[in-house]
Amino acid sequence: MVATNASDVRPATAVPAPQESFWARNRHYLLLAPGVVWMVLFLVVPLLMMVYVSFWTQTTFAISSDLTIKSWQTFFASETYFGALLRTLRIWLTVLCLTLLIGYPTALFIGQFVRNKTLQTILLVACVIPFWTSFLIRVLAWRPMLGKEGAVNILLQGMGIIDQPIEVLLFTELSVIIGMVQIYVVFMVGPIAFMLARIDHSLIEAARDLGASSWTIFRKIIFPLSLPGVVVGAIFVSVMVLGEFATASALSGRKVNLLGNIIVTQVGSLKWAFAAVVGVILTAVMAVVITVLLRVVNLRKEL
Amino acid sequence: MMELIGVSKSFDDKPAIVDLSLRVEDDEYLTLLGPSGSGKSTLLRVLAGFERPEAGRILLNGDDITVRPTHLRGLGIVQQNYALFPHMTVEENVGFGLVNRAQDPVTDPREVARRVAHSLELVGLDGLETRMVGQISGGQKQRVSLARTLITEPKVCLLDEPLGALDANLRERMTVELRKIRKALGVTFFHVTGNESEAIAMGDRMIVLDEGRAIQVAPPDTVFDHPATVRVARFLNAYNLLHGTTEGGVFANGEVQIPVPHGAADVSSVAVRYDAVEMHRDGAEAAGTALKAHFVTSEFMGSKVVYFFKMASGGIFEVERHLSSSDPETFGVGEAVTLSWDGRDVLFYDGRGDLISVAAAKGAA
Repeated sequence: MVATNASDVRPATAVPAPQESFWARNRHYLLLAPGVVWMVLFLVVPLLMMVYVSFWTQTTFAISSDLTIKSWQTFFASETYFGALLRTLRIWLTVLCLTLLIGYPTALFIGQFVRNKTLQTILLVACVIPFWTSFLIRVLAWRPMLGKEGAVNILLQGMGIIDQPIEVLLFTELSVIIGMVQIYVVFMVGPIAFMLARIDHSLIEAARDLGASSWTIFRKIIFPLSLPGVVVGAIFVSVMVLGEFATASALSGRKVNLLGNIIVTQVGSLKWAFAAVVGVILTAVMAVVITVLLRVVNLRKEL
Repeated sequence: MMELIGVSKSFDDKPAIVDLSLRVEDDEYLTLLGPSGSGKSTLLRVLAGFERPEAGRILLNGDDITVRPTHLRGLGIVQQNYALFPHMTVEENVGFGLVNRAQDPVTDPREVARRVAHSLELVGLDGLETRMVGQISGGQKQRVSLARTLITEPKVCLLDEPLGALDANLRERMTVELRKIRKALGVTFFHVTGNESEAIAMGDRMIVLDEGRAIQVAPPDTVFDHPATVRVARFLNAYNLLHGTTEGGVFANGEVQIPVPHGAADVSSVAVRYDAVEMHRDGAEAAGTALKAHFVTSEFMGSKVVYFFKMASGGIFEVERHLSSSDPETFGVGEAVTLSWDGRDVLFYDGRGDLISVAAAKGAA
């Protein structure tokens, strides 16, 4: 009797639970509306516009919406412009490697060897202090440092290490790289130090207890666990270096032209179609770089 | 065999371990019981080489390892939080020591796989090899951590509160399994815990650590039946402690009078086990030493009932009854009850808190 009670109460056919209306189920998507509208108006539309304009016909004094691939042909046929693409990639890779080489040990020190959280924060803030001056001053300050009669040359000559001033220091690709590394290295240090500081110290003790040497612990534990920081730092540095034009023009005496510099000059002379071509190429390069970097590590899983 | 000779360690002038000497035998289960802040974690960290002692020496099979770096010591530590490598699978975690150790690493991947499989089987985790560490439960993590340490065949395996983070069910099972695994491998386990019943149940020998000193080192039943000091008796959570003075061969504290054995002149504390006490309702005749108290409450613990009584002095007196030997009794709140015990069940402590050996006291008399 007791056993059958339950089935007596239950209706013969299951009544579907009352459904919320379509509006009630989906209204939370409204929260997205302002952001979506903004991004469509000011990001997606301009991007599409840029691609469209890159196929317009450009004459010396005018631009018309007749479609052509002439601007694209000019870019890839010209030594100057295609060379700028290669130069941009070369400088980007060099700066990326140098910021990693200089930034990682610094981050390792701050994140792993400074045990005091307050001191960690102080050191990270110290890395940002150069940013309290304006970008232009930071870049231009390199001129009196690196020039033929600049601080570095005077110092080296004074110490008797060199007889003649080193001339390649300023207005060359080297000076652009020096300037960029100095400015962007902090964007590498920050994310890496953050990831390193999150590594539980007991993991390192456990690895040591299992017999691993310091170098093995670095290779197998510390470095893999800091990879998300490296990737985030690399994305920061890449995006900023690839779109750079100010450091290059200020420290190269306009001898080193990056894609960014070309866009600036083309826009300056109202060559919109050609500027759009360079813009599309630059955007594509950045997209590829970021995709590759994200492939290195699954950020969604790690963060 | 591991030997500690006069080891001391302090942090910012606060002593954590004080002049500790100890012998850890081969093939034994040694438990170390200490309240939090007693220096037990520090001791483990000194043994593992994470901290350097200020004084004393540590010998492992006759070799001085006091200043030897951690990774060359050949000891294994299972940490309280398991410390599994989050970016590796279970298999890679367990194999880590074999593949990556500085001293004769195993390079043949088949050999590594074989030993990892064997090690996982030992802790009952076969089949989980390819799982990531984040995908397994707390109890499984603990076993992975144990397997990871045991696979390196440490000379002594240090366990830092290994059951602390497990739920009651799992803890009970691991208690049995840890002893079984240890027996199968013949390796010495040095198990640190703050839980008295764990230390008593698991150890072949146990050490009671207090304020950085080993105050009793003995088999668990000896520690339980004859706690060496008043403080040990208190940690064990099984003794009522009464403090008073001795005059003319009788210990008294205002509510109870206990004749002390001959020769034990300065008894200042006595200890009576919770389960050695008889309860008598008012008016009933009580044999042995007796104490009047008022019932406060009782707590049902499954296999036993604990009764709490308030003494005239305001102190709480606990009585424990195992349900296998007697039925539970009910008292009204505030009911006056006479508590009595056999004089032979009483332990006497002197002014410094040390146990007065009844045999020695009799010998002196």
